[in-house]
Formats: sequence, structure tokens, C-alpha cells
Amino acid sequence: MSELTIFVLQAESTFSEEEEEKLQIAFSLEKQDLHLVLEAISFILEQAVYHNLKPASLQQQLQNIHLDEDKAEAFASAWAAAGQDTIEKFRQRVLTPQKLETIGWQLNLQMAESMQAKLKSPQAVLELGVSNEDSKNLKKVFVEFSHQELFDFYNKLETIQAQLDSLT
Amino acid sequence: MTRGRGRGHGRHRDTGGEGGGGGRGFLGPRVPVEVEAMARGVQDVGKEVFRRLLKVTVNALEGKDCKESVKLIAESANLSEEQLAFLISGMYTLLQEALRLPLSTFKQEVFKEDLKELRIPEDFIVDFSSVVFGNRRPTSEGSALIQKSRLPSIQDFKWRVDVAISTSSLARALQPSILMMMKLSDGTAHRFEVPVAKFQELRYNVALILKEMNDLEKRSVLKIQD
Repeated sequence: MSELTIFVLQAESTFSEEEEEKLQIAFSLEKQDLHLVLEAISFILEQAVYHNLKPASLQQQLQNIHLDEDKAEAFASAWAAAGQDTIEKFRQRVLTPQKLETIGWQLNLQMAESMQAKLKSPQAVLELGVSNEDSKNLKKVFVEFSHQELFDFYNKLETIQAQLDSLT
Repeated sequence: MTRGRGRGHGRHRDTGGEGGGGGRGFLGPRVPVEVEAMARGVQDVGKEVFRRLLKVTVNALEGKDCKESVKLIAESANLSEEQLAFLISGMYTLLQEALRLPLSTFKQEVFKEDLKELRIPEDFIVDFSSVVFGNRRPTSEGSALIQKSRLPSIQDFKWRVDVAISTSSLARALQPSILMMMKLSDGTAHRFEVPVAKFQELRYNVALILKEMNDLEKRSVLKIQD
């Protein structure tokens, strides 16, 4: 039971056909029964996440609904091990389709261009990797900044930081 | 082709590589065809017409529309379409190349010398000079002189900080999040969420780049001789 619980906790998404078959064999369950067990475990864990239950509290609640003691204990120990991480993962979930994933940058010293010789102007290029929930590819957004532009951008970031600080 | 200058490389060139090997000065080792054609053709042009042509060229460099003025010149002066074409394009190229070079290193005497070698009449050299070095220098706003080959830069940047109180997964989330909306100079807009940890990373990196830029500007790399 506790192994299955940990499986469910660690699974990012639902099990694939192959995985389900493997589980069926491992636990000698029929397909119907396996589904039932997995759904039950998922539900219990979702509730635990929603209410931010402590392991002891979870165990108590399960015993209250007359679940076997050893099974309740299995839940509690799995929850104690991976509960906090799971809650944190849910906390970080965003509803917007696009999320900033990667940040890269390059600092260049531009020496000349077709319109101007002998420049020596520093330019920064910021590469922002934005993920899109639908496509799974990272969209790379390239933005160029001069010294002044980057400085202005930084000041805006500082303003955001000040807002974040005022929340705590 | 040998020229009468006995000392070959003699003249010290502030314009660096462009003058090496007895070359032509600020236009480089090979004078563009239209400039040479212009230099020849301009001998037969009157001062009045030349000045009008120069004005049209400067307007073109500033990005203004000059179709009308060119038509007027074609009608009033006695110039064929072909003559007009190489006169204006020659003047345009000449000025464009001269305006590329920063005033700190490109000196008026050098410019005048180079034009003299092209056999451009003295009066006209003075006029050209005043465009490049005087107060008739084309402004760079809205002109053909602005860099077009840039990556997009930020035109508009909007943001908001939200705190998620409750979600379908968590009764009490209390998780701050940042939403950014960037409009870039190429017209694209990007709206995305920035997790707080990523935001810190972004802030750190931007500060790092600024520091590196400051160091770069102070370092001796920038004391490269022009």
C-alpha cells in the first residue's frame, strides 16, 4: 500500500497503459480494481494537499473512516516523506499558459555597423525561455538592451522586488 | 596608377585602415562607381543646381520623402534622368560614408583632401564639408542613419504582483506570483508568469550584466586607438 502511495505521489501525470499493466501484475489486481485503488489513493492525497494536513492528522482522519490501521499508517508515512514537496509543487503551479523557464544572456561590445563606424558600445542580449503549456517547446525571446535601457529595466525589477518584500 | 605623391604612405591617417597603401581615404581603397561618376558629372553643374541637389540628398539621408523636389530639379535644370541618377546617388553615398565616421577622429582637412583628389570643384567641397562638419549635419532621428539591424528592444513593460489566496488544489495557498507583459520594438508582445525564484534569478543576472558593462566601460579595451 505504501509503495503504491509513493508511486502516486511521485507521478507527475497519470500512469500510462504500460505502467498500469506493470502495476496490475505487481499487485495482482484486475484492471477495474487497480483503477479503483489508484483513484482512491489520488483522492485521499488531493484532499491532504488541499487542507495541508499533517501526517498525524491524516492518519487520524483515515482511521476515523475505518480504514485499516496498517493502511492508514502507510499513508501517513508516505505523506511524511513526500507531502511537503507535493504541496510545494502544487503551490508553484500556474494557471497562465506561459511561464518563464530559462534565462540566458550575452554581453557584446559592438565595434561598428553598416551605419556607424568605430562604436564601442556595450550591448546586452537577454534570452528568455518561455514555456507554453500547449506546445511543450520553449519559445526563445531575444531582447537587446543598451546600457541605459538595461539600467531602466533593472530599476523596474527593483520596484517589483520592493512590492514582493512588502508582502512578507 | 601612380600619383604624384612621392612618399606613398606618408600622410598619417586618423581613419586607420581605410587609408592604407596609397588608397583613396575615407571612401576606402575602391571609390564607389557612383561617386566617381558624380565627381566627373558635377563639373558641368552650376552652383545653384548643385545646391538644390545637395539639399535633396540631405533630406533623403534624414529619411524624408523627396520625390517632388527631384521632379522639380529634373524639370528646371537641364539634366537627363541618367545624369540626375548618378549625381544624386553619388552624393548620397559620399555623404553616407562620411557620416559613418565619428567626428572625434575624422577631421575636416582629411575629408577636403580626399574630395580634392576626386577632382570635385572647390566650392562644392566647401558645401559638402558644411554638411558633414557644420551645423547642417543631418540629425539622426528618423533618418536613414539609424541602425536597422538590431534585435528587438523593450518598448513597453508592464507587470503585476498577485498573491493566490486559494486554488482548486490548495485551500490556503498564499503564494505570490509575478505576471509580466513585454511589448517589443518589432511589434511582438509576450505575456508570461514569472515564478518568484525565477524572478530572483532574472534580477541577479541583470545586475550582473550591469556590473560587467560598467567594468567593460572602464577597462582599457575601450582605449583602443581609433
